[in-house]
Amino acid sequence: MRIILSYIKVYKGSAVIALLLMLLELVVELLQPLIMGIIIDRGVLRQDLSAVAGWGGLLLGLSLLAFIAGITNSFFAANVSQGVARDVREAMFKRIQYFIPAQLQKFSLSTLLTRMTSDVTQLQSLLFMAMRIMLRAPLFILFGLVMAIIVEPSLATVLLLAVPLLLGCMVIVMVKGVKRFRSVQTNLDQVNHRLRENLFNMRLVKAYDRGEFEQKQFEEANGPLQVANTKALRLMETTMPMIMFGMNMSLIAILWVGSYQLNGGGTQPGEVVSVLNYGMRIMFSFGVFSFLIMLFSRGRASISRIVSILEEYEGNDRNQDGSSYQSGAVAFNHVSFNYPTRSAYPALEDISFTVPRGKMLGILGETGSGKTTLAQLIPRLYQPVRGTISFGGIDSQDIRVEDLREKIGVVPQEAHLFSGTIRENLLWGNKEATMEDLIQSTKDAGIYEFIKELPDGFETTIGQKGVNFSGGQKQRICIARALMKRPDILVLDDSTSALDAKTESDILNKLTDLPYTVFIIAQKISSVKEADQLLLLHEGKMQGVGNHKELLASNEFYQTLYQSQQKKGEVHYVENS
Amino acid sequence: MSRTPKSHPHSRIGQKPPKINDLKATLKKVWKYVDRQRNLFILVMVMVLISSALSLVGPYVLGVTVDRVIEKVETTTLIQLFVGLAAIYIFQMVTLILQNYWMIGISQHTVYTMRNHLFAHLQKLSLSYFQKQQHGELMSRLTNDMENVSRTLNSSIIQFTTSILTLVGTIGMMVWLSPVLTLLTLTIVPILIVGMKWITKRTSVYFKDQQKHLGDLNGYIEESLSGHAIIKLFSREKETIVQFNEKNEQLKTAGYWAQTYTGFIPKLMNMLNNVSFAIIVGAGGYLAVQGSISVGVIVTFTTYSRQFTRPLNDLANQFNMILSAVAGAERVFQVMDEEPEKTEKKEDRLQAVKGDVRFESVSFAYETNQATLKGITLHANPGETVALVGPTGAGKTTIISLLLRFYDPDSGRVLIDGKDTKQVKRESLREQMAVVLQDSFLFEKSIRENIRYGRLGATDEEVEQAARDANAHSFIRKLPDGYDTVLQSSGSSISQGQRQLLSIARAMIKDPAILVLDEATSSIDTLTEMKINDALKKLMKGRTSFVIAHRLHTIYQADQIIVLQNGSIIERGNHDELVAQNGFYRGLVDVQFGQQAVD
Repeated sequence: MRIILSYIKVYKGSAVIALLLMLLELVVELLQPLIMGIIIDRGVLRQDLSAVAGWGGLLLGLSLLAFIAGITNSFFAANVSQGVARDVREAMFKRIQYFIPAQLQKFSLSTLLTRMTSDVTQLQSLLFMAMRIMLRAPLFILFGLVMAIIVEPSLATVLLLAVPLLLGCMVIVMVKGVKRFRSVQTNLDQVNHRLRENLFNMRLVKAYDRGEFEQKQFEEANGPLQVANTKALRLMETTMPMIMFGMNMSLIAILWVGSYQLNGGGTQPGEVVSVLNYGMRIMFSFGVFSFLIMLFSRGRASISRIVSILEEYEGNDRNQDGSSYQSGAVAFNHVSFNYPTRSAYPALEDISFTVPRGKMLGILGETGSGKTTLAQLIPRLYQPVRGTISFGGIDSQDIRVEDLREKIGVVPQEAHLFSGTIRENLLWGNKEATMEDLIQSTKDAGIYEFIKELPDGFETTIGQKGVNFSGGQKQRICIARALMKRPDILVLDDSTSALDAKTESDILNKLTDLPYTVFIIAQKISSVKEADQLLLLHEGKMQGVGNHKELLASNEFYQTLYQSQQKKGEVHYVENS
Repeated sequence: MSRTPKSHPHSRIGQKPPKINDLKATLKKVWKYVDRQRNLFILVMVMVLISSALSLVGPYVLGVTVDRVIEKVETTTLIQLFVGLAAIYIFQMVTLILQNYWMIGISQHTVYTMRNHLFAHLQKLSLSYFQKQQHGELMSRLTNDMENVSRTLNSSIIQFTTSILTLVGTIGMMVWLSPVLTLLTLTIVPILIVGMKWITKRTSVYFKDQQKHLGDLNGYIEESLSGHAIIKLFSREKETIVQFNEKNEQLKTAGYWAQTYTGFIPKLMNMLNNVSFAIIVGAGGYLAVQGSISVGVIVTFTTYSRQFTRPLNDLANQFNMILSAVAGAERVFQVMDEEPEKTEKKEDRLQAVKGDVRFESVSFAYETNQATLKGITLHANPGETVALVGPTGAGKTTIISLLLRFYDPDSGRVLIDGKDTKQVKRESLREQMAVVLQDSFLFEKSIRENIRYGRLGATDEEVEQAARDANAHSFIRKLPDGYDTVLQSSGSSISQGQRQLLSIARAMIKDPAILVLDEATSSIDTLTEMKINDALKKLMKGRTSFVIAHRLHTIYQADQIIVLQNGSIIERGNHDELVAQNGFYRGLVDVQFGQQAVD
């Protein structure tokens, strides 16, 4: 909450003006019943038309004043709420940009998206309301009571007794209702979750003909939603008529007391009417009040979701004042790592090796053996839990992360491209690249011929997530993108999997010629046989390191692996979309 | 006195309601659902009628009572009035409670039924529908639009009716009490209309703007979040943030004006309320001095004028809400109106089959103008393995889709054990098959439940056996929660390869006559691969298998290889035959697997 306040503080001036304008409106509204009573007592009952006209004119004038105040308020309130919303969105986006992958995984993509959009919108309307009506309803109830006492204390006693009692009841019910609505939200999430999953897996659902099963499961989630929703709504909607009834009865009581007072001569009729009017207006405020509680509770939930992102630790990603990158050997020294979410299960354990500058390390291992984890440690997407990784003798932790990443070209397992043209995507690797650079990189990645044949060439637009390209094409564009950097170190995380053997070996040959230190994760020994060193991983542990010949001669793990791939059923891959 | 406003004018900070194509038809469809509880609905309407009438009578009796109090009439008369007033308030409360209580029941049941129908309908739609639709868009229909309908049904029907009844009734009562004062009170209406027009003309523009920029920003956030790692690897954080800020600023500007102008509406209403109050008190005071009305009438009028401007306000509000809900409902019904998968009138159940599969000159096109498959004829004997080979876009996946009857051929027939699949119930057809798809779709449920998806009645032992057969048991056992580990849709609870193992186990447990396998291209390492090959071999034994083959291993073992290009079969035979032919296949194998494959 305090964080949000600091964002509001920026707009302190506008906020104060908006609140003052709102107070002006409030004063006008509070004066109205008073003036009404005066008109009745001094004008109507004394048959004085000029008093009626004078006070009536004042009423009209005040209305216009309130209107002007209200309109002006709109500008200032919108300025605050939209400004804060923008700033909060910006801060969230910035924070998320510098998340480490583990943080990103903690929140899923879709929650981050809703938090940045609908939750911020919720906060924004809450702020807007706050500066317009939020204080007004409670203040009106409070000052309405004060005014009623000023007009006629004996009549106001009725309101003084009834209003706090009814308001108290209402707040209790509302708070309970808000809680119920929260459980409705949980139910709704369940229903939507079922729906989403069903849509996503539709092919499978159909192939296994599980329509009815899915339907049953859906109804199992949908039923509780109906029940919860009905309950919550009924609580809210049946309470209000009761509260209104209480207020109406207190109006009767005012008249009752008033009739005695009038007979006793202690009260003027106009005063009775005036207090009555205060009572009615307070009642109307009740409705607004209940709305405010709803709004506030919804807003509070949104705010806490926003704050939880803003309060996420910054990771150690923004280390700006490290030393610069020095090219040289890459060394892992007793590196261990586990994912924060699965701390009991080490993903990597005690990994040590050194790759001299310009050499190639092939990494082989089973699914889940930790190959990708290792690849992610190199550009410091994650940091080792124990041990160090050093570049040219400098501990990775001490190197400015941007500097480090500028020198490392990574081609991840999943070929991810951004919407835009092929050229724009390639320029990610090097903003100032020339056409020659583009051609060179794409040639090295074995995709130039393909791009050349496209009607728009490098200007071909890539659809969201690269839907209009095959897996192999995307992989090669990603390789080219990494090459555009002219990196010192190149990390290929199984990124030639969708390529046929010939294309793959062409590309790998090219890479060997380039002066990069190369890490290559592969499924097939054949892909990495030529590497200077091979690192074998099994369940996060090193099973050996050495070149093909050495390992074949002495490493049992490697021998098994090799034999498995040498059989006639050697695993090969046909290019596939 | 009167009911509380359920939604404050400020609550509608939303956008201008979207276009509705056919209001009448959509309302009719919604009505059909509500109509299932017609009797209850009629009761609600009766209650609405009574409570609205009482909300008119209440202020009147209150005004009369005020007059009598001022006139200092006898206590017995006053008591009668007080009792009468109390009775009115009690009835009003009861009718309000009942109408709300029942209406909530009706609306929630309506939404419940609609949701179920919608979901059921989705299950019947053809796969091509889902391929055409954007996921996010469809999801938004099913969730946001549905929620919108739900919320509006809860309150809007009652409120709308009440508003109209109160509006008409109030004006009637006002005219009856004092035509002159009524006329004066009504002078605010033209101001209201002109003012609202002025405002909405502006807001609609800015809301449209705001929606557009919000959509922009949304897309940008989504893309940059899913490419988060890449952005980091290329140190593009700053550029990304700068671009975001631009879009964010545009959204703010549009939002600022939209919100400012919308903010005028309640102020305008408020002002008119106050002005009418001033008019009533001033002019009413004048009239009272002249003796043409009583003080009680002034009191009554001040209440009526609120009751009269509020419904106006509410109506404007409700109208927008209702319109946007109707638009939402329309989008929901559009989904429901989609034609379900075609079924022939007389479809037989397919009993346990041997697995004889035959394609007879099958042609098929996704888009009418471009044929995806042209005259495919092939035959697989029970237990045979058919490998489908060919470049991307050759039609391999389409053949499988037709076999599973995701689609029906445009011409020609697909026969299983001699039966045209068109004449067979889809569910009985798919009962005979199991699939392992390239993307291993899994659910956010436990591993056990995911495997059991293949055969719902399977016991825990059978699940574990299937996992063993698929060589998944060992890794599952190592997970902290074993078979009860709940899979996450994203995130790294298990690896891609492990997900594939699970999807194989799922097919194992089904024990079908026909197996459809879209081989994964990657992400299973060699050792696991071997285990899988071994498992698949077990699985394929005695079953007719259609495999989109990416591995030479599979192709070698196939009884027939079907080589596809541009939707036609260009070569067929076993590996040795095809290599001997020295044709397209030979070229393909040479290029893709290297010379050694043929040796």
